Amino acid sequence: MADAAATAGAAGSGTRSGSKQSTNPADNYHLARRRTLQVVVSSLLTEAGFESAEKASVETLTEMLQSYISEIGRSAKSYCEHTARTQPTLSDIVVTLVEMGFNVDTLPAYAKRSQRMVITAPPVTNQPVAPKALTAGQNRPHPPHIPSHFPEFPDPHTYIKTPTYREPVSDYQVLREKAASQRRDVERALTRFMAKTGETQSLFKDDVSTFPLIAARPFTIPYLTALLPSELEMQQMEETDSSEQDEQTDTENLPLHISPDDSGAEKENTSVLQQNPSLSGSRNGEESIIDNPYLRPVKKPKIRRKKSLS
Amino acid sequence: MLTNKWCQVFKKTFGEIRVLLLSLAFSLLSPLPRRNLNYFSNAYAAAVSAVDPDAGNGELCIKVPSELWKHVDELKVLKIHINFSLDQPKGGLHFVVPSVEGSMAERGAHVFSCGYQNSTRFWFPCVDSYSELCTWKLEFTVDAAMVAVSNGDLVETVYTHDMRKKTFHYMLTIPTSASNISLAIGPFEILVDPYMHEVTHFCLPQLLPLLKHTTSYLHEVFEFYEEILTCRYPYSCFKTVFIDEAYVEVAAYASMSIFSTNLLHSAMIIDETPLTRRCLAQSLAQQFFGCFISRMSWSDEWVLKGISGYIYGLWMKKTFGVNEYRHWIKEELDKIVAYELKTGGVLLHPMFGGGKEKDNPAPHPHFSIKHPHTLSWEYYTMFQCKAHLVMRLIENRISMEFMLQVFNKLLSLASTASSQKFQSHMWSQMLVSTSGFLKSISNVSGKDIQPLIKQWVDQSGVVKFYGSFAFNRKRNVLELEIKQDYTSPGTQKYVGPLKVTVQELDGSFNHTLQIEENSLKHDIPCHSKSRRNKKKKIPLMNGEEVDMDLSAMDADSPLLWIRIDPDMAVLRKVDSEQADFMWQYQLRYERDVVAQQEAISALERFPTPASRLALTDVLEQEQCFYRVRMAACFCLAKIANSMVSTWTGPPAMKSLFTRMFCCKTCPNIVKTNNFMSFQSYFLQKTMPVAMALLRDVHNLCPKEVLTFILDLIKYNDNRKNKFSDNYYRAEMIDALANSVTPAVSVNNEVRTLDNLNPDVRLILEEITRFLNMEKLLPSYRHTITVSCLRAIRVLQKNGHVPSDPSLFKSYAEYGHFVDIRIAALEAVVDYTKVDRSYEELQWLLTMVQNDPVPYVRHKILNMLTKNPPFTKSMESPLCNEALVDQLWKLMNSGTSHDWRLRCGAVDLYFTLFGLSRPSCLPLPELGLVLNLKEKKAVLNPTIIPEAIAGNQEAAVNPSSHTQLVGFQNPFSSSQDEEEIDMDTVHDSQAFISHHLNMLERPSTPGLSKYRPANSRSALIPQHSAGCDGTPTTKPQWNMELPRKGTAGLRRWGEGGPLRVARPPRLQGSLGCGCAPDPSPVLPKGQLER
Repeated sequence: MADAAATAGAAGSGTRSGSKQSTNPADNYHLARRRTLQVVVSSLLTEAGFESAEKASVETLTEMLQSYISEIGRSAKSYCEHTARTQPTLSDIVVTLVEMGFNVDTLPAYAKRSQRMVITAPPVTNQPVAPKALTAGQNRPHPPHIPSHFPEFPDPHTYIKTPTYREPVSDYQVLREKAASQRRDVERALTRFMAKTGETQSLFKDDVSTFPLIAARPFTIPYLTALLPSELEMQQMEETDSSEQDEQTDTENLPLHISPDDSGAEKENTSVLQQNPSLSGSRNGEESIIDNPYLRPVKKPKIRRKKSLS
Repeated sequence: MLTNKWCQVFKKTFGEIRVLLLSLAFSLLSPLPRRNLNYFSNAYAAAVSAVDPDAGNGELCIKVPSELWKHVDELKVLKIHINFSLDQPKGGLHFVVPSVEGSMAERGAHVFSCGYQNSTRFWFPCVDSYSELCTWKLEFTVDAAMVAVSNGDLVETVYTHDMRKKTFHYMLTIPTSASNISLAIGPFEILVDPYMHEVTHFCLPQLLPLLKHTTSYLHEVFEFYEEILTCRYPYSCFKTVFIDEAYVEVAAYASMSIFSTNLLHSAMIIDETPLTRRCLAQSLAQQFFGCFISRMSWSDEWVLKGISGYIYGLWMKKTFGVNEYRHWIKEELDKIVAYELKTGGVLLHPMFGGGKEKDNPAPHPHFSIKHPHTLSWEYYTMFQCKAHLVMRLIENRISMEFMLQVFNKLLSLASTASSQKFQSHMWSQMLVSTSGFLKSISNVSGKDIQPLIKQWVDQSGVVKFYGSFAFNRKRNVLELEIKQDYTSPGTQKYVGPLKVTVQELDGSFNHTLQIEENSLKHDIPCHSKSRRNKKKKIPLMNGEEVDMDLSAMDADSPLLWIRIDPDMAVLRKVDSEQADFMWQYQLRYERDVVAQQEAISALERFPTPASRLALTDVLEQEQCFYRVRMAACFCLAKIANSMVSTWTGPPAMKSLFTRMFCCKTCPNIVKTNNFMSFQSYFLQKTMPVAMALLRDVHNLCPKEVLTFILDLIKYNDNRKNKFSDNYYRAEMIDALANSVTPAVSVNNEVRTLDNLNPDVRLILEEITRFLNMEKLLPSYRHTITVSCLRAIRVLQKNGHVPSDPSLFKSYAEYGHFVDIRIAALEAVVDYTKVDRSYEELQWLLTMVQNDPVPYVRHKILNMLTKNPPFTKSMESPLCNEALVDQLWKLMNSGTSHDWRLRCGAVDLYFTLFGLSRPSCLPLPELGLVLNLKEKKAVLNPTIIPEAIAGNQEAAVNPSSHTQLVGFQNPFSSSQDEEEIDMDTVHDSQAFISHHLNMLERPSTPGLSKYRPANSRSALIPQHSAGCDGTPTTKPQWNMELPRKGTAGLRRWGEGGPLRVARPPRLQGSLGCGCAPDPSPVLPKGQLER
């Protein structure tokens, strides 16, 4: 019964593993080992006189066994590393066992007990091999200043830069097209929004939505909006001014690029108020000379009174 | 000067000193009974002459008490002191007060003086004549945040006691007429010209950067004028003020000019820059001739306008080049010729003698040209145009050198005279008269220009030539026939030399023909034998030698082209007949832009492939003057339309435009804007507009062209451009509008969205987007809105969109930028005409009466006249009695504060109803005419008691020595003009008849008896209450500027008309209240006491 259950379990897991086999060799390996452990547990149980066992208890025991063995291994490894070795020796195992509270002396006797069952060695399953790293080109040899014992260079693909990007849209026509339609879309959306949110006028009495015109609203000071350049235009003007300078620097090449501060300062000067520097300069310089009556201070009234009296 | 004159007046009239004042002229009349323009025109002219300051007449009479007569006999000087206040003036001063939060200064409120010709009397009592000079002391007390700009030197600025106001003291030591006095007050930003510190510029708040840019050029204009005139600028300072709601774009006054603020522009604007510079130069030219040198009388006006226009032309030549100058001259010549032919002549030097009138029948029957204030505005514009053209003719005759010497002589005489402070009789040197001008021309040049003057100045009309020719191979002679039409209106006969230039194979030859009475045919010997096979370069007029393809020309004739009067030395229109190939040669090879333009307009008649080729070549030629190339665009469009069935290849100009302005790789996309080359910029702007005029066989705009224009708009990219593209975009909208053709309509169905043509839908989409974007990102001067409004009207007119004026009416409201308003109003005017809408016409007329901006009011009348809803020869439902009444009232009384507006109303009335009684009026009016004639001698008794009552009332007041504010009230209710009916009709008849008599006896006392009856004018001298002479103080006139605090005006007596040597003490004070309100009215007979 226990066997049946065990085998059934094994078979179940086997089929499961079989189904997984195709998917993952590493899982497969672990499953095979666990199945061996299950067989061990089952035989130990049989040896102890059990006729059957529930699947769950077998599993639990297997788990315990596995933990125990794992712990031995882990501990033994610690001991061996503690003594600066990489391979555990017998004494490491012994110390481990002792440490775990196991009476080592009983071990040879137990091993030689008569009623022990011999189980077949688990089928040799290959340790899963790590998939081979893709070799991309030849590893570079060490340059002369690096001692040869140093690790090799990693695969070239780990450090070689191969920039990749999508082919940029360099077609002028497409770009212009795109810029134009983008701007148009923005403008249309914006104006439609304004029209929807505000008062509108319409060219057709029956339809107000197809060609909505934002209602005309009188300004209190109409000449200001009409004459002063909009902020956008001011910005543009500055930009074009500077871009012109860029063109100049491009043609005249590097020397000007070295002193960006200077050219920046120039830019400011040459922007909107072009005459400003010269104007203010001349004004500052000749402030005392310029005698424009409109710049003179306003006089106090006293004088006037006398005058009007006289 | 004036003092002398007063004495004369005094001597003549014994005891009456008349202050010539405040000519309210016709406003004083109630509506005349006869709605007949002839009658009105005579009466109006009579009324204006009756108060013409030039003729020594006026409106305010001051009677000198008899006890003072002896002082006068001793030739002592009387000093007169007039106190007056001015409330809410309708004319003369214009207030701009934006309705926003804040103090007046923060709101940018300002006021300035304005008017047409001598209109200074509208804002202070003065002898409002250009010929009465005196020196001035002006004081203005204004809010501390404001600046008062006026004539002469600012002596000092002083705070008032409460420190809330300050007083600006101005002194003008150069004798100046009252008409050249001006004033502008506002919270101006002040900019001292960096090149000339005595020049100061003023603009409204926030516009300083624009002002800096705009005026940065002015010093060059100064230099230019001073150099050519070899004379320094006569005044010690110069001020430019830029104000909103300007009456005219440029107004020049002594030592200051008032400009429209809309002339200001930033460095990004291309189109406005030359226009503004031209305005600046124009105003400066008028500073020399017009302000500093004034005129003797109205008939001498042409000399001043001529000289200032002429030197302005010289400046143009120097600044914009000879091509631009010649183009301008041609344009002006075409304008004046078209105007004179249409309306019948512009007379530069109107003589006032009775006999002269008959020789020269009044060319303009509906207004008198004897007085500036009766002229139609259009006539006045043309008058100025003709004046400078005639000046140019004089230059042709006597050479420019002599011309400039004459100007220099005038100026130096005047400046010598102006420095003679105490010899005012010398000041007459500062006045120019026709005879004086002609005399100095003959002195300087030694040439007799009398025939020229007689032809162009003393006579009106232009010359109309028809030229045709035949080549006589046997004699190798060109037989040129020149006919003249001197019988149609606006023409005159020309006798004298006429230059003809003949381009032959061997070169260009000038011939001077003598045009005589009966000789029509002229034989001109040719220099070259007819064509030889030798391949030889052909020398042109300018010495250049060019290769020509001569295959097109007539093998027998050596003539390439012929030009009649190539130098525009006659004010003429030339229609000359030449073969098409000759015009083509002329277009390609003649270097004179005028000839090229003539050729272009002639080629319109020859739609052949050869013409097409010639035009295309010119269009492509970079060296060619850009305006010629622009004209070629339109001509090419016309030719293409005529050749539509045989036209091959892409639509005209498309490939050319693509080659010049589109990307090499993708020909359907225009390059990003770069307007560094202005020539290409103008061409780029114009070509699509012309292309949109193309039509296919179905008379529709080809789809290809429309797509092309839409693509131009779509791909327009101004990001990298140094200049604004607003004018360019506006022209693209114009192009869209040009492409619109009438909708195919089925049974007058209602226009709805569903039956909208898909092409129109695309156009409409663009217009909508542009118009809406303008709300968010307004363009300079709203050019795009203006174009959109025009385009919408075109769509409406062509039946794509339902015709509806409400959109335009909302844009026409006060508060929109003036360009937008005018565009919208133009659309409404057009709607009124097309849809015959009485309602809209009423709306327009209401606006004429009520709009705050004088320019807009003027412009509405002007547009209505140009595009009238109906004309006199037309039956129209709009033509009814109410309309006649309304217009008649407008002419008679509604426009008394603005000459220009009244003359505009008269023009409109003339266009609508003609000279005689409007056809829609009932007949009984005629009865009144008879009445009038009967009553002419005997005054209607009903009015006499009234006048006496007025007298009595007035008699009470002076004795009380009070200011007259309250005095106006008793009359305010009784004289409401709107209700005037038959009684006042009699009244006005009496007035008119009286005035007609007045002309014969100009100085008749008692003039004022009937005049003031029904005034609703801005300014009426309320009353003269006597004279107050104080021994020491200068006469002081206080003027209340109601919204701006007070401005005190002082007329400084030194050497002036009011100069007082030992003034006798006079009793009483002369009060002069000015009543702007329609209701307060001057009491009858008041002034006469």
